[in-house]
Amino acid sequence: MILRLSNRACVLSGSARLKSTLSTFFDEMGKAGIVLKSASTGIFENLALEDWIHDRVDLQNRSMLLLWRNSPVVVIGRHQNPWQECNLPLMRRLGIPLARRRSGGGTVFHDFGNINMTFFTSKKKYDRHRNLKVVTRALKALRPDLDVAASDRFDILLNGHYKISGTAAKLGRTSAYHHCTLLCSVDRSILPSVLKSNTSEVIKSSATPSVPSPVKNLLDVDPTLDSNTIMDAIASQYSNEFGFDSPVIKVDPTHEGLMPGIHKMAQDLQTWEWIYGRTPKFSVCSSIVVEDVTIKLDMDIKNGAVEQCAMEIPENWLPSEMVNEFTSTLNGSKYCPNETAVLVAAFMRTVSMTADVAVKIHRLCAGVVSVM
Amino acid sequence: MAMCAALRCVSAALPLLTRPAPIWTCQNSLRPNILRTLYTSSRLSGALKFTDKHEWVRVDGTVGTVGISNFAQEALGDVVYCGLPEVGTKLEQMEEFGALESVKAASELYSPLNGEVTEINTNLTDNPGLVNKACYEDGWLIKMTIEKPAELDELMDEAAYEKFIKSLDS
Repeated sequence: MILRLSNRACVLSGSARLKSTLSTFFDEMGKAGIVLKSASTGIFENLALEDWIHDRVDLQNRSMLLLWRNSPVVVIGRHQNPWQECNLPLMRRLGIPLARRRSGGGTVFHDFGNINMTFFTSKKKYDRHRNLKVVTRALKALRPDLDVAASDRFDILLNGHYKISGTAAKLGRTSAYHHCTLLCSVDRSILPSVLKSNTSEVIKSSATPSVPSPVKNLLDVDPTLDSNTIMDAIASQYSNEFGFDSPVIKVDPTHEGLMPGIHKMAQDLQTWEWIYGRTPKFSVCSSIVVEDVTIKLDMDIKNGAVEQCAMEIPENWLPSEMVNEFTSTLNGSKYCPNETAVLVAAFMRTVSMTADVAVKIHRLCAGVVSVM
Repeated sequence: MAMCAALRCVSAALPLLTRPAPIWTCQNSLRPNILRTLYTSSRLSGALKFTDKHEWVRVDGTVGTVGISNFAQEALGDVVYCGLPEVGTKLEQMEEFGALESVKAASELYSPLNGEVTEINTNLTDNPGLVNKACYEDGWLIKMTIEKPAELDELMDEAAYEKFIKSLDS
């Protein structure tokens, strides 16, 4: 069942006994602290791994640290509004997906230059400051001159000013997890532009906002610091801090046999209903210009769908009857460029209109989609 | 009659006749028999029942109002967002029905009973801090039908809950 790669690291693959799961494996190990490394770089698989550990592993007398990295992705907090937090059209162009995590907090950009750490404990042992000490002490053990310290907001600051780590957490029935990022060598040419919304001024929402901060990579202050070295140091310091004798175990989060139900957890995290539909109710109030005509657009979005849509359009540009039919088409639809384009195309096929009007509707649609 | 006068007197003296905790740990100079009257009347008008997840239910006829206890709101810290279910959602006992986000974490909410959500506290959208400031009154979270009234008997009454939270500190 376990392939030993080295003294300290072992990889789990397959299961000798039919009913063995990762949970029973931990129980049998009898260790008070375990360090895990995810073998996946997929955000949804890794978030599902967090969910699975939180729900299925007995954390009353055992704590765990999970280390993971992802390919480029933007991750928003549980109660956030993606239209307010990031540049969705840019992300679509760059092929950067969006994920919503189950913990609170703000929006972050991940790529291979970012290390994620999740500290799993019982609710009683939940202590974010202590967890962050593991990180700062690990970094200082590697480079004693490094000026890194945790702030009141549970950020880690480099040189007292640059944010290199942000924190979020979730409290469940009996256990909790605290996870944080660490900027080692993230692509800083992309980060600022994807995390800046193109439509935040037109949105009115009660969603939890992010607190933007200037950031830096650890690589910027010390080019010899690489992610693997840092992860090893953190794993080591975790054991020191809590007095554990933790083995480091690599886990493949796609292994349904070892973690029954994990596949569905990953699927649930990828649904439109979770990623976009969980956005708290918000309204969009925007002026778009189409063919030199200024059109006022008002939409209420609930559960990621258009609950109400109104447009103020000069009567001589488009007759109000046509405008009303157009807005009714949008009512109840997903606040999504693709869905809107499909609906408007169907609208244009089913409603008779002159070529001139068709062009206007087409351009109006483009204008509406530009705020999505 | 005299009782009514006493009650009117007392409600003028106390800022709010609502939070059970201040009545027990009364720091003003009310006479004990008036306190007993208040205690009794709060039970008659819809006593609070508590879960071990620190949620409370107050029953009013066939509808239960649900919120989180003072212990819970203190542990949570300042609530910045309330994620509540839609009206009409059917809930099972102990099922997760939403989450409160505070400066500490996103904390799941668990249904104390089987029932259907009939109302949610929309004031919490613009004022999530009500959960901290008035957890037993204006900071209520949802109202729901009570499908199995017997479930209420399984919950803790105020005295039992106080004992329970004292035992947690040890």
